[in-house]
Amino acid sequence: MKQLLLSLSLPLIFLACTPEPQPIEYGADKCEFCRMTIVDLQHAAEVVTAKGRAYKFDAIECQIHYLQENQDTEFAFTLVNDYSKTTGDLHPAEECTFLISPNISSPMGANLSAFFDASTAQEFQQAKDGKLYTWEEVQDQIKR
Amino acid sequence: MRILVIGLCCMISVLAVQAKTITVCPSCSTPTIQKAIDQAVSGDEILVKAGTYQESGLTITCPLVLRGEGMPVIDGQRKGEILIIAADSVTVTGLEFQNAGVSHISDLAAIRVKRHDYFTVTNNRVINAFFGIYIENGKHGTIKNNVLLGRANNEMDSGNAIHCWYAENLTISDNLVRRYRDGIYLEFVNKSIIADNLSEFNIRYGLHFMFSNDNSYTCNTFYDNGAGVAVMFSKNISMTENLFAQNWGRSSYGLLLKEIYDAEIIDNVFQKNTIGILLEGSTRLNYQNNNFVRNGWAIQMSGGCLDNHFTKNNFTNNSLDLVVNSRVNNNTFNGNYWGEYTGYDLDHDGLGDVPHRPMKLFSHVLTEAPEAIILLRSFFVDLINFSEKVSPIFTPENVLDEAPLMQIVK
Repeated sequence: MKQLLLSLSLPLIFLACTPEPQPIEYGADKCEFCRMTIVDLQHAAEVVTAKGRAYKFDAIECQIHYLQENQDTEFAFTLVNDYSKTTGDLHPAEECTFLISPNISSPMGANLSAFFDASTAQEFQQAKDGKLYTWEEVQDQIKR
Repeated sequence: MRILVIGLCCMISVLAVQAKTITVCPSCSTPTIQKAIDQAVSGDEILVKAGTYQESGLTITCPLVLRGEGMPVIDGQRKGEILIIAADSVTVTGLEFQNAGVSHISDLAAIRVKRHDYFTVTNNRVINAFFGIYIENGKHGTIKNNVLLGRANNEMDSGNAIHCWYAENLTISDNLVRRYRDGIYLEFVNKSIIADNLSEFNIRYGLHFMFSNDNSYTCNTFYDNGAGVAVMFSKNISMTENLFAQNWGRSSYGLLLKEIYDAEIIDNVFQKNTIGILLEGSTRLNYQNNNFVRNGWAIQMSGGCLDNHFTKNNFTNNSLDLVVNSRVNNNTFNGNYWGEYTGYDLDHDGLGDVPHRPMKLFSHVLTEAPEAIILLRSFFVDLINFSEKVSPIFTPENVLDEAPLMQIVK
């Protein structure tokens, strides 16, 4: 009996400890950095700490500012939305290509968008001008 | 000299040509507005008679008046933008714009002002647009008496009703904006006046300032929006005689002040909001003669707020009047009326003889553990509040009203 209980509860404990991305509730969730209500599905972003706590952002620039302010914290996930999609799927920031274009405005004024597909990013750059960055580069670019 | 002569000749010729009126009606010789625009020269008036016109992409490139008679309808049939103003001194009045296009990649609008000044957009109706009226780089404009009805159910299918991006000296007044993302959105907009508007049922904000300085908004009503008004990263904003009501929700507030400097908040009413005012990083603000009635929290103040001065405000029937989440502050709360004040006035000077501490211990507990809200109104909470009131330990010591008013400010 005891063993049964133990075997049942053990996975529960592990489950509780695994950090997992949380879906963003558009129109209800608040940006952790700027306090704005998150409504823009093309620019919203999220980080999840190693302890499993999720913080959501209305724009990638807010996410970057937040990461810069919390450099000591360990993050399990750093996720961004793909500008060219409207499905709300979050992608790992490290795998995305970033575009800063004066013709695509983002919620907090940095004109920054993310693309999961590098070729899509190039298409948008050709159509809308601007400059492409990797995740590392764009973090340097967006400094407070 | 030659230039002067040419200039004079031009002026005379302009004077000599009489401005004409082009009438558009379904059975006229000019049956479409596009045709009338093609014929028109500077200074003309296009008079559109009642009827439905299925047109889109109308672009005005010279100064003229586009006037509707009997509220004619321009139906964009979801094909992109309906009217683009690409000239100075254009007036658009008395028209109904329906069914502008929707796009997730470009911000399509029913009426767009594109890099030109001195525009007047009055007495129009905009139904089912993605963005309603979009000012892209324009100065000296008037947007008055328009009705903008959206149908935003969720955040994706709607833009903002009145959207201004890089503008100056605008007057936005007497408009009704309903069911968009933001009712009125201002980004990089300076020296403008927003007055007497009704903004309601918008998904995000009733009115939203971003990086916009030297503006004032007065006598507006913000009712049941995602949140009432957000003023962010802006300087010198005057906020007077507005009503912020019924902004309920988890991340909702009547007024959000984030990183703003030098503002006056006078004669406003904050009624039935989850949070009346939420302020963060805001400095040199004066709050006077405001009424905070029946809010969850009247005021929540986070870190980095300096020189906020509250006087002659009424705090009545709020679940919690004030939360201050920082120890270091030089904000003052003297001379307000607090419904919860339990002191006395023996010398009859109208001021309570004992200071009032508007921040309760329970407010402090809530910032640490929001779930504790279910204990509100319990005996236990009354007990800890009372003991903290007698000897403050956890709440910031300098958050107090040294001269609380005995009578409500009328």
